[in-house]
Amino acid sequence: MMNRRTLIQTLIAAVAQRLAAAPAAAVHARSKRLVLVTIGGIRRQESFSEKGIVNVPHLFNDLLPQSLFYPYTVNEGVTSHFNSIASILTGVWQHVDDWGSEKPTHPTMFHYLKAGRPADPNDCWVVTSNKQLTANISPGINVILAKQLLIEAVERIIMGQSSRKSLEREQLLQEMKAVLETDYERIGWGVPATSTFQDPTVKKTFVDALAGFIHGPTAPVSGDELTLTVGMEVLKRLAPAMLMMNFSDVEVAHSGSYSLHLGGIRRSDMLCHKLWQFIQASPELKENTTLLIMNEFGRDPDGSSTNGFFNHRTDTETCRMAWSMVLGPAIRKPQVVERVVRQIDFAPSMGSWMGFEAVKAAGAHLPEIVG
Amino acid sequence: MAAPDYKELISRLPRTFGPALNDQLHQWEMLFPAEQRQLKAQMDWLAALPPAEFKTLFAPIVQVEDRMDLPKWQPGSTGLSIHDVGVMARSPLYPQWRQQVEKVFGRIDDAIQASGAMKPVPRLVVSILPAGLPKPGDPLWPELAEVGQWVQLDRPFLKVEETLVPAIVKRKAPAGLEPDETTWVIECGKRLSAESGGVTSLSWDALEKVRREFLNRLNGISRDIKSADQTTNDLKRLDIRKLLDPATGASPRLREFLRGILLSGNGSLVFNNSFVQWAASEALRRAQPQVLLAGFGLRQKLKPFSSVVLFEDQNRSNPTPDQDDPAGSLTDAAFLAQYVYLAAQRVSAYQGHTVSVFAMEELDRVLVVDPRGKQNVPARLTGEALTARIVAWLTGAA
Repeated sequence: MMNRRTLIQTLIAAVAQRLAAAPAAAVHARSKRLVLVTIGGIRRQESFSEKGIVNVPHLFNDLLPQSLFYPYTVNEGVTSHFNSIASILTGVWQHVDDWGSEKPTHPTMFHYLKAGRPADPNDCWVVTSNKQLTANISPGINVILAKQLLIEAVERIIMGQSSRKSLEREQLLQEMKAVLETDYERIGWGVPATSTFQDPTVKKTFVDALAGFIHGPTAPVSGDELTLTVGMEVLKRLAPAMLMMNFSDVEVAHSGSYSLHLGGIRRSDMLCHKLWQFIQASPELKENTTLLIMNEFGRDPDGSSTNGFFNHRTDTETCRMAWSMVLGPAIRKPQVVERVVRQIDFAPSMGSWMGFEAVKAAGAHLPEIVG
Repeated sequence: MAAPDYKELISRLPRTFGPALNDQLHQWEMLFPAEQRQLKAQMDWLAALPPAEFKTLFAPIVQVEDRMDLPKWQPGSTGLSIHDVGVMARSPLYPQWRQQVEKVFGRIDDAIQASGAMKPVPRLVVSILPAGLPKPGDPLWPELAEVGQWVQLDRPFLKVEETLVPAIVKRKAPAGLEPDETTWVIECGKRLSAESGGVTSLSWDALEKVRREFLNRLNGISRDIKSADQTTNDLKRLDIRKLLDPATGASPRLREFLRGILLSGNGSLVFNNSFVQWAASEALRRAQPQVLLAGFGLRQKLKPFSSVVLFEDQNRSNPTPDQDDPAGSLTDAAFLAQYVYLAAQRVSAYQGHTVSVFAMEELDRVLVVDPRGKQNVPARLTGEALTARIVAWLTGAA
């Protein structure tokens, strides 16, 4: 495996190459937007290592050279999904029930953001595949469980609970629309007010996203692809100040298929690139949107008593050491930062750029981020 | 062996040890002989420890426990619920606790090993990749090849296997091993079980009824932990005999072993190769057979949209025809075969006492990792010579 020194040198070279060819970074536009993407557990050996780079070609070749990259971002908390995401959002290591029955014990970035602005129901959106991430994560935000909608529609068809009998694209679209119309609350979607879903703009956002997913030119099928499609539609039509998306296709690792896990990593890589291209192609988003991409943790080492890559619960560097990538106006310049930073440092740092202070956060401000 | 009484000893152990130990003793008859011997050796060694040393040994764990917010267990509590595990795992002190527990068990096991209470026997673990896989683009098992030796055979392994497996089964097992400690077959298909006739075997294909029943019940879990705990408890009590073939159904130990495998995740209900790897790893840890044969298989491609509900029947309502995934199966099986090897390396009975063989049915080469060193393995062997060497190793004639 590539050692730290070699990795850093390779990464720095990639950034330097881009800097030589690129014009100076763009200046900020007036309203700042943050898009936070978390990806489930990905080990270094399958991503930013000599052997692993083949799985993250877009992150490495296309995004890293224009990014602020922290290859050593440690997760010192509970290496489970809900706790990790809640820790990133609050800037404090969370130790709550991972089944989502408890709220984070500190305010989230959404909370701080909303507190400092005039009320706007479309300010904060979450498009997630994590069932535990309900509106409990922070008051007053919109939570869309895109993958859960797909699961619900698929299950209704295969369990014979629908008049539609086959998992064909058009029938699935109709079933998803039916769930959206009647059952969104039961599958865990949360909005600040019921009128939000009756808003024609919001409704059209979802219907168009579903149609885009079903009829997409690349014939998408996975939960993460749907998450991205819905997320991009939310960005385009509702332009929230903060949008979080959680990708989880890599978590097929829990079922032990290494090839499908690698496929999930490659899909996340492709989707992150697609998202950044989308942001850059939009005149409204391009100048003022920062994209922060983080894997939640690694996974357990091969040969561990927890069955290696299947799980993510060992107190090891393989499991705890993640990475993070920042793109857009919040960064002073593209660079690779060699020191170890913590996942809880991002809430105060991004808050500082966006104009709020994460007063309860325990993390430190990262000086490479504008604030 | 009758269940020993360790109530007094357990009451002196750290609080977190009680529920798991009580559970093991409660199900003593369901433990394999190797587990019974190991647990008894550990507990007897602890019971004989002078009080001051006992206190010193466990002091670091007790100190961590005192600072943890632990579930309120009663002295006789058996087993840990999903809720209990969650409470412990999210404690900020959990990593520290786990580290201390591993240290203590390391010390106990070292002491037992040094006492010579557990006599080593020569062992064999064979992992076999199926026919129908693409020719590997990269060399298989490069890390293991550094410690092992590739052996050129005179025919594809599938042909060698026809004589090798019956010869292994017919060998004279070392004295003192009970029947379920001699040879285990865990496989996706049914061929190895048929070739080995009468040994302990578990086949993914043969277990379809019980797998389907478990999946159906697990699919009914709603979004809360209570429902998950309830379903798990129901499945622990479910009479599965009628869902199994007569040989598996008739053995209470094997039945409970299988139930544990299907209830402990790790893909054992979802993918055939994950089942083989996880069941093999658990068999090595728990039953510790002298020989374990792990037969991997071809997995089908996941179907569009059905793949988001892995626990459901992938064929239901899906117009996409079935299709094998040879490339994905090769990646999965090769990686998981390595995990079976690593699982054996974690068990002291196998460390330094195990020959590991990695084979692909259609390939006329096998990778052999021999604890005596790679220089001990010839670069070319006929099928008969390989069989003779393996049998000689297992019977102590090598």
